[in-house]
Parts: sequence; structure tokens; C-alpha cells
Amino acid sequence: MTPVAPAALTMNRSVATRPVIEAGSLAVGRGGRAVLEGVDLAVMAGERLGIVGRNGSGKTTLLRVLAGLDRPLAGEVRWGGGRLPRGPSRPSTLGVLFQGEVPSHFTVRELVTLGLGLDGPPTAADERLVDAAIARFGLAHLVGRACATLSGGEQQRAALARALVASPGALLLDEPTTHLDPVHRAALLGELDRLRGSVAVVLATHDLECAATCDRVALLGAGRIAALGPPTEALVPDVLAGALGVRVRRIHDPAGGPPLLRVLGLVGPPAGAEKVPVA
Amino acid sequence: MKTWRLVTCLVVLGFLLGVLGLAAGPSGWRSPWEAAGDLFSGDEVVARLRAPRVTLAAILGASLALAGSLMQVLLRNDLADPYVLGLSGGASLGAVTSLALWPGLPPGPAAAAGAAGAAVVVRGVARGAHDPARLLLAGVAVGSLLASATGLVLVLAPADRVLRSATFWLFGGLGTPLWPALGIPAVLLAGCVGWGLVRAERLDRLTLGDDLAAALGVDVPGLRREALVVAVLLTACAVAVGGLVGFVGLVAPHVGRQLAGAPHRGLIPVAVGIGALLVVVADTVARTAFAPREVPVGLLTAAVGGPFFLWLLQRGRR
Repeated sequence: MTPVAPAALTMNRSVATRPVIEAGSLAVGRGGRAVLEGVDLAVMAGERLGIVGRNGSGKTTLLRVLAGLDRPLAGEVRWGGGRLPRGPSRPSTLGVLFQGEVPSHFTVRELVTLGLGLDGPPTAADERLVDAAIARFGLAHLVGRACATLSGGEQQRAALARALVASPGALLLDEPTTHLDPVHRAALLGELDRLRGSVAVVLATHDLECAATCDRVALLGAGRIAALGPPTEALVPDVLAGALGVRVRRIHDPAGGPPLLRVLGLVGPPAGAEKVPVA
Repeated sequence: MKTWRLVTCLVVLGFLLGVLGLAAGPSGWRSPWEAAGDLFSGDEVVARLRAPRVTLAAILGASLALAGSLMQVLLRNDLADPYVLGLSGGASLGAVTSLALWPGLPPGPAAAAGAAGAAVVVRGVARGAHDPARLLLAGVAVGSLLASATGLVLVLAPADRVLRSATFWLFGGLGTPLWPALGIPAVLLAGCVGWGLVRAERLDRLTLGDDLAAALGVDVPGLRREALVVAVLLTACAVAVGGLVGFVGLVAPHVGRQLAGAPHRGLIPVAVGIGALLVVVADTVARTAFAPREVPVGLLTAAVGGPFFLWLLQRGRR
């Protein structure tokens, strides 16, 4: 069986105005308590959307609901205009890459094959998809190695190949650059650049530099989406101060890259200032 | 391809060891070809006493190996074995209670009921089969409670012989089964292996973690429920026919993984074969080494399995 979700594939090629994932009046939380409310979000085909917020602001909770792993407390999520399919067509609709995937006993080839979500042995056509994903992520020399014996960067490449082998229309990543050294961080962002225009990428991050590479950024603050827009509008000092409560300075990159964001400190008077007697 | 070669090797090896098991016994050693001939000529000792016992040993080992593989996936823990969820405690309590109250009856059915009951209690305490850590903790707690209850029954039981037969049962022993007694264990094993092969790829994805498995299209709660039921049924049936036979359910999946790799389509048949071989060999030694006395087979599997597991750990460390 070759997992192909016609909806997902046509969306890839369609104009970038069709949403791959839509969330309407969403409330998400844990244990019945809402962390985020009133979330209206549409992820367009091929775009890269960053979800930025402090620890505990609901980034991961929102991402889990968008991935179909948790139910929203209110509102609904639609994938390609409908429900998220079960079975083998699920990984061809949506790819996910979580933080701290446990390195397994599987070999790289076996892991990538699992990404197809098959319920039986792979066919020749499935094997070709696996070969293509392995070649694309430069894993050909590692196919027979157990994932647990790979280096961190190799593991992440294998996980990316696993997430993308079924050609999903969207890829969700949770804190993909945390714990990565600069080399692997650059390599990962390079891989994501190659997806631009074909696969919608949603990444939850508190790494402002990583967020600045996105097409749009959703800033989470005070239990809702405090700002949503391109980095030039969302990742500016005023908005960041309002949503995250940090003072930020934008530093222009003369080479033309996205502006650097330097965190200077917290917004507001220094701690204890309010205790200073007036008299 | 590799799997089929391995399974063929295991079947051939199993056949040879099975014939060796038929040839050896407390009533004397026969040559293997003589034993094979006796099997088909309906010889009293070989066909009616030794053959069902060797077959039951194979079924017992295979059941424990499959149950162990499933528990290791369910609990996401390489140290899990079929008895880990309080099943050994439940089985022991059932068996010693049965021996104390109805000394004339075989303790098997009560042991199976005890194991299954313990699993139900553990699942209830852990509020479902979905959280490995909670299942494991509930299993340890319930297991130790049941172990102390077993001890209490042994201390308070009136007859001296309860202690002796209970000790024998607690270390595993196959007794003298008749052919009809093999029906239920054989059918259950075949059904469970079939289930495992149908669900092999889903079990593979479950080893990656619940979230990832769900994202890869697996109905995680449903699969976990099925796997728990299958593992508990196999274990309950195994304790009913053979008492507590340790280490097979822990070691066989590990050896299987070393030989066939992690994917369950290859792992299940190979681990099942390894488990069967292990118990057939251990039981042959148990019957003959100290003849006319018989040693509990669980003592031998533990004696062989323990050092073997240590060697495996040393090797894995590189």
C-alpha cells in the first residue's frame, strides 16, 4: 500500500492561500484548565509558521492539538479541510518531530520505513519511497546502523527522514533547535529551507533567531495569541515586550539576513523598585 | 528472508533437541532414532509420557517468550518479563491457596485465575493500560502485597506437604501432562502468535512511544489494551501448566532481537522459537540430571538464563 493523501499533495502544489491546518476559536490546556484560548490560526501550504512564547505559555500544548494528539477544550482543528485520518494515510497528511525521541533498537532503514505508517510489510513501491528519503537526508551510509548508536545530528536527520518519508503536507516540530550545537542547528535550518514552498512547517520554539527565519510568527502571551504576523511585524521590540515581557534590540544584518534579536532584559522596573518609599 | 532462514534453523534445532528430549528420561536413555521410532509406534514411555511433556515445554517457553516481548513493548522497559505486573504474585497466591484448601486438585487453574486477577487489579490501580510508569509501579506494589499474602498462606497452612509441593510449583514444573491437556495452551499460543504477526508493524511503532505511534496512525489505547490482554492470557496459561518459570520471558526477546532485529515481524517468530528451545532443553536436563529425582525446571532456566543475561549485558556494553 502506498500512502498517498491526494488532498495533501494537491495542497502542496496549489496556491499558498489554501490552509493545510485550520484552527478556529480553539482553547487548549491540560487537565481541563485552559492555557490558551481564542486561537484562530490558519497554516498555509508551504509556509513556515513559528509559535513563540515563554515556557508554560502553551506552545507544546497547542502543537499537540494541531498534531491531533490531544483534543482541544473548545473549538476545532481541520486538516486539509477535514478530519485527521487514522491509519497509513495519517503520516502522509501530517509529519511530526518531537523533542527527545527515544533512540530505538531499530536500524535507520527500519525507522524510516515506520514513518510510512504501514500495517503490513512494505511493498516495492514503499521501499522506493524509503530509499528516496534515505538518499535525500544523506543517510545511505547509515542504513544498517541502530538508531541508538548514531550521533545526535544523525539521529535528528533520521527522524526528519522518518517524518517526511510519506510526503506529508505539513510538518510539526517541537523545539527543534534546543540541545543542538551551532553546526547541527544550521544543518537543521538548511533542511527546513529545502521544504519551503512544498511542506508547511509549524515549529514551536523559544529561540528568537530560529523564529526570525519563519514566514509568520505567532507570539503567545497572556493566554492567547498576542501577535501574529511576519517577523518584521511580530518580532519587534514593542510587540515582544508586550507578549513575552522582555526588552529586545533588533540588530541589522548588513549581509541581508534576518535581523538579530538581542534580549537585553526584562520589561518593567527592576525587582524591588516598587518597595522604594515615596517620601 | 533473513527471518525465514533463522526460523528454519530454529525449527531444525528444535526438532533435534525435541528428539533428544524424547530419548532422555529417568527410565533410561534410548538412541535418538530409536526414540523417534517409538514415538510413531505408540510406545508407552516415549509417545504417552515424554512426547506430551516435551511438546508442553516448547509451548510453555514459546508463550513466555511472546508474553515477555509484549510486556517489554507495553512497559517500554527492557527488563520487563511476563510476571512483572504482579502476575507472579497473583499466580503464587492462587496456587498455594489451592494447595492448602484442596490438596487433591492441581494448582494450575487457581494460579491462572490469580495471575489474571492480579493483572485486572494492577490495571485498575494504574487507571488503564496507557501509562507504562504507572503500570510498572502498580505492578510492583500489588506484586509485593500478593507475595506477602502467599507467605502468610504458606506459614498458616496446616499440612507440611503444602510447603513441599508449593515450593516445587513456585520454581516451575511441568508434571506429567496428557495429550488433551495441551489443547488449550497450543490453540492460545497459535492465536496469539497470529495476532502478533498481524499487529507486528503497529507494535513496532508503539515501541517509538505513544505520541509518535499515534502520529503514525496507530490507535494507541486500543493496541495497548489488546497487547495487555494477550500477554496476560499467555502468562496465565503458562503458569497454569508450568508454574513460575523464570528468565525465559526476559531473555528470549533479547536474544530474538540480537538475532532477528527489532521489527516484530521477525522478532516474534524468532523469540518464540528461542523460548521453546530454552525450556525444552532445561526440562530435559530437569528430568534426567538428578534422576530419579526431578528438579524444578524454573531453577534450571534461572541458572542458565542468569549468566547468559549477564553475558548479553557485557556484550551490549562494548
